[in-house]
Amino acid sequence: MIMIKMNRFAAIIILIILSGCSTSASVQLTNEFPQVLAKPKPLSATVVFEPSFATYVAKPNAKTMIDIGAAQVRLLRNAFAGLFSKLEFVSSREEITSENAMVIIPSVREVQVSTPSDNYLNVFEVWIKYNLDLETVDGEAIDSWFMPAYGKTPDAFMASKGGAIEEASIIALRDAGAKLMLDFYRIPAVNNWVAQELRRSQQLQATSSAPADSQTSPQQANSAEASK
Amino acid sequence: MKTSSKLIAILFSTVLAGCAATTTIDEYRPTGEPIELNAGEKVVVLGRRDAGHYETDREFIGCVGKRMTGADIGVLPEQVFIDAIYPWFEPRTAPKGLPRLKRLMQDASIKAEVDKLDVRYLVWLDGSTETLDSGGSISCAIGPGGGGCFGFAQWDKLSVYEAIVWDLQDLTEKGRLRVDSEGTSYLIGAVAPIPFLTPVKSDACSSLGNQLKGFFTTQLANPQ
Repeated sequence: MIMIKMNRFAAIIILIILSGCSTSASVQLTNEFPQVLAKPKPLSATVVFEPSFATYVAKPNAKTMIDIGAAQVRLLRNAFAGLFSKLEFVSSREEITSENAMVIIPSVREVQVSTPSDNYLNVFEVWIKYNLDLETVDGEAIDSWFMPAYGKTPDAFMASKGGAIEEASIIALRDAGAKLMLDFYRIPAVNNWVAQELRRSQQLQATSSAPADSQTSPQQANSAEASK
Repeated sequence: MKTSSKLIAILFSTVLAGCAATTTIDEYRPTGEPIELNAGEKVVVLGRRDAGHYETDREFIGCVGKRMTGADIGVLPEQVFIDAIYPWFEPRTAPKGLPRLKRLMQDASIKAEVDKLDVRYLVWLDGSTETLDSGGSISCAIGPGGGGCFGFAQWDKLSVYEAIVWDLQDLTEKGRLRVDSEGTSYLIGAVAPIPFLTPVKSDACSSLGNQLKGFFTTQLANPQ
């Protein structure tokens, strides 16, 4: 009886040890991202987080699963707040209410993971390849921007593979925010759109102030006559 | 009996002496002027993470920061600074040279945040610890009658780290430090595995931390 118990105990111990050596990893990113330190341009944008993007679960290989959907929405909400002063977030194109806004539809092209056993380096790496479809409210394409993000983290001795991939994924998402802040307004098509929008808003201001001028001018004329 | 005890003691001390790391520190400073660190001003130690094949690990950054922290020096945690200035000190965006730092500090919001945090100096740490060479073999076996390890293994480790101090007020480089620490560790399998580990990284951390501490505090103690 005691012998059977001992065998069971040994089997449980071996199973626990073997599960610790398992190479599969399932990661869900629940962290918050810091607010971006940037002054947004006086422009409007509508970001469309389609359900497939907001609930995206990456499966870079058969043994790895990374739930990045909610985290990437949090990150992009924060990053776009540093680029546009007026923002609207919707889940489909039909819900857009903003006028003259840039419509941004992000999507994930691919997620890749590399572990020390793959790259023979002492680091875990994660690549997230984003695509941003940029359009006007009327549906006219402005550009389709490929935005790769990269994160790596050292191989922490005795730490879990899941923990290391989670850390590398968070660094990759932060890198996506950095890339967006650094390069978004450098896209030539976006730069042209910004120039057009600023010109349009200036013209609008000029035309809206013109009737006011025309209203005040008779008064000014009257006062000028009165002063005479 | 006494002779054999002495022999064991000599053998043991010889093996332990082999576990000491050899550490060299090079210091370079452009001028002999003292580094001013006024009351309330802080230093932040940041790791370079833009190299492809290694990563300046956070544990080492934390260790150096802890070594530097003292009555005279306030050290702001790395992550607090990086988060406050996000995304301008991420691996992709962090300034690699002073011209880029000057451009960053021209941004009023970044300058205001740095001032709010009271950070006066940035210490960039760049480097890694690598295993250079390893030899010997050790094998462990377990059976119904018991188990044990037999053999001998050794490996050499080298820690190379460089620290660069930037002044965020003058936007100048105040100095550089480089630490090289090397040592050999042993693992003897005599039924139970007996490790004789050389604390190469820990030695590099304490040497660099103490030297950086002196970099600031010595000058405060002897103002010219």
